[in-house]
Amino acid sequence: MVQKALRISQVGLRGVVGAGLTATHVIEFASAFGTLIENGRPILLGRDPRASGVMMREGVAAALLACGHEVIDLGIASSPVIQHAIRRMEAAGGISITASHNTAEWNALKFFGPRGTYLSTAESGELLDIYHLRKFRYCDWTGNGRLRSHSGAVDEYLSELAEVFDLDRLKSLRVVVDCCNGTSAPILRRLNERFGFNLVLINEKLEGAQFAHDPLISSDTIGLQLAPLVRPLGADVGFGFDVDSDRIGIAAETGEPASEEMILPLIADWLLPRHSGKIVITNLSTTRLVEDVAGRHGGRVLRVPVGRQATIDALSAYRPEQIAVAGEGSGAVMMPQFEFIYDGIASMLAILSLLQERKQPLSAILAQYPRYFMSKGEVPLTSTRIPELLASLQEQFSDGKMDRTDGLRVDWPDRWFHVRVSQTEPIVRVICEQSGEPPVALFEQLLEAVRTG
Amino acid sequence: MPREHLLKIGVSGIRGVVGEFLTPALACAFGQAFGTYVGRGTVVVGRDTRSTGPMLQHAVQCGLLSTGCEIVDAGVLPTPTIQMYTAASRAVGGIALTASHNPPEYNALKLFNSQGLFFNQYERTELIDLYHQSSFTEAENRLIRRVRSESEAPRRLHFYRVLRHVDVDRIRARRFRVALDAVNGAGSVMTPAFLDEQLNCNLTAMSIDPNQPFPREAEPKPETLGQIAELVRKTGSEIGFAQDPDGDRLAVIDENGDILDNDDVLALAVDAALERLPGDVVVNLTTSAVIDDIAAAHGRKVFRTPVGEANVVERMQAVGAAIGGEGSSGGIIFPSVHLCRDSYSGMAMFLGRMAATGLTISQLVARLPRYYRRIGKVAYQHGRLGPLMQSLEDEFPDAVMDKTDGLKLIWPDRWIHVRSSNTEPVLRYSVETKAEDTMQALYNRLSDKLAS
Repeated sequence: MVQKALRISQVGLRGVVGAGLTATHVIEFASAFGTLIENGRPILLGRDPRASGVMMREGVAAALLACGHEVIDLGIASSPVIQHAIRRMEAAGGISITASHNTAEWNALKFFGPRGTYLSTAESGELLDIYHLRKFRYCDWTGNGRLRSHSGAVDEYLSELAEVFDLDRLKSLRVVVDCCNGTSAPILRRLNERFGFNLVLINEKLEGAQFAHDPLISSDTIGLQLAPLVRPLGADVGFGFDVDSDRIGIAAETGEPASEEMILPLIADWLLPRHSGKIVITNLSTTRLVEDVAGRHGGRVLRVPVGRQATIDALSAYRPEQIAVAGEGSGAVMMPQFEFIYDGIASMLAILSLLQERKQPLSAILAQYPRYFMSKGEVPLTSTRIPELLASLQEQFSDGKMDRTDGLRVDWPDRWFHVRVSQTEPIVRVICEQSGEPPVALFEQLLEAVRTG
Repeated sequence: MPREHLLKIGVSGIRGVVGEFLTPALACAFGQAFGTYVGRGTVVVGRDTRSTGPMLQHAVQCGLLSTGCEIVDAGVLPTPTIQMYTAASRAVGGIALTASHNPPEYNALKLFNSQGLFFNQYERTELIDLYHQSSFTEAENRLIRRVRSESEAPRRLHFYRVLRHVDVDRIRARRFRVALDAVNGAGSVMTPAFLDEQLNCNLTAMSIDPNQPFPREAEPKPETLGQIAELVRKTGSEIGFAQDPDGDRLAVIDENGDILDNDDVLALAVDAALERLPGDVVVNLTTSAVIDDIAAAHGRKVFRTPVGEANVVERMQAVGAAIGGEGSSGGIIFPSVHLCRDSYSGMAMFLGRMAATGLTISQLVARLPRYYRRIGKVAYQHGRLGPLMQSLEDEFPDAVMDKTDGLKLIWPDRWIHVRSSNTEPVLRYSVETKAEDTMQALYNRLSDKLAS
């Protein structure tokens, strides 16, 4: 069966524009959101610079206006900027038009509730039900909403960041940033202008048709353009952003790209000693270094299934002050100070704060951590074979500690693996990690097992 | 059984009650069909002041952008202005979001080709087929274009096109006292600028707030124009103008506060045009015979078409007419400005006539040949139309018949016309006679026949 590049799920609507994702999908999905959200307070709207974002904005605006909502368009804005503006402007919710770390031909709708939070699993389920039912609550001619623009959201967001971070002490650090032609660029430029930061920006031009490189943050994409510039520029650190600025990657002052898995441990290392909350929430695929760092500061790690939704649901089970930080190995981290929003700019400022506080180069901080080696792979698989595959893996690796909440994770004292089905692509993901040396044999064994089912 | 057409998708486009019936998804799909039909290029989009306009405009633009069209957002502007700008810019087409004279709960899409004209009936059929097939061009990200805003240039263009056909200095010198009712429509801002700034009129205007709903029934017909007539009398204005929400139709009030018959408005415009320009006249079948008399006086021909602006325009283009229109609905089409119904051409022509002749509006009307007219409508059931028309033919065997739009029966001194409405399940009928005393009898005879 030929699959068009379109995915409608509890995460929202996502696809390749013109080859799966159509204008009708946009209008109907946004109509479902307009029906879900109660009338009365405005709904905010923003987009990343993809050319298709304008088309999608038109559709989203039409749907929300038809449902009787006032709409405030923030223009090109990162997801975190939109999320903070929702809380600040006491809006009923918001939509970010962005395919985040996907390549330029993709686009997607991300939905936020009041206070800028992600929708809960129950709310996402309801949204999907309304979409499938296609019974939208359109107003008659007396009830249509109005659309207006608001251009101050970035500055308001920076003012809020300035209350949490000591920007004055961070501005002297020499930093190079790869914006990947995305929404971080206008924010970081304002950080330079308003707060006297010393950020050197590359790929800072907003691009609609094509980005300078694959926006997926990894040590590979960091190694392409950013890392080689760090030493020549004499920078203390390099950061890479995805297109909607909710996650980051990092390169040390030596010009070495660090794994995206390092972001959460670094931020946890900075936050844990400063906060009463001691719980670190992360998913089953993230490095075990998180446990080591948490252990140093008397914290504990709660492992949840992969995907934003599981993290959101786990967060809601605790009081905010119990939690130190939540995040995933992809470089997306959220902090309690910011209403638990994945925020790349805040993540960058947290790591700069750590550097400033320790008075040590990043490479030295990383060198103090236990050394792990991670291997990641993916195997295309027919959906029907997955249950038997997982059962056979369980049998094969029965000597380890099992976790079956998301596919299968097996832990041994010096290594672990996680095999799970992707939520976004028809593939099985294989991840394993070992301390001291690369898990070559285990990884090969797993790939073979998954391929042969 | 009475039916209401809450949504109509047909060769004239898409029109309906917004919300439950005319949805954003439907408007978007029509935008997709349109974009697919005209091909990648610039499309001019504008709207009247209806509260549902912004929503529909965003939906249509979403559909257009998804096919790879670039958009010029003209904002709130009269339909003729949008048409002219579409033609003058290098656009591949234009769309006006307006239900024209329909009530505020309605809205519609008026679709124009690259010349800013209605598509002909064959093109319209192709477009509607495309809509029903739902196989639209889908542009990938790198082929998706932008939305750009432009409302000043279209306005300037429209003024320029109209004003080069009248003696502006002469009109300005007279500083006419003029009253205006813009029905809080698309002319709310532009018409005062036209009359006051461009033509130096001493203007008193009402209903010129584009953010307010229509204060009267949207169609400018005698029953709905009490307030502007009153305003003319109160201010001692020499003429009053009333527009519809999208600024294509025009009603005229004389210096006594009497509302001119729409056929007489057209007749005066035809007279003014033929005075200056060569060419024939095109009107619909329901328009008064007064047009025939005026044309004959200038030695010109009159062509008749089915009711509907698109039909009149199509024929005007084919015969290279000097002027045309539809008497019954208050539409003057002056192709030297643009081949569309345009209230601004009408206003300029009337002021120009007053300036050139030194006569008042009532004096100009008094010089027209006099006919007696009456129109009516009656609900009908499907399946009864054929026998009804047949029985009318039998009832009046001595008349000359024209069956191009319903049935028109013509005698040397009178005519009747019966047709089914394009927009409602009703039969519309008109009667016109040369002699005052025979009109009512003929009207009653026809009414009784249709009611039976």
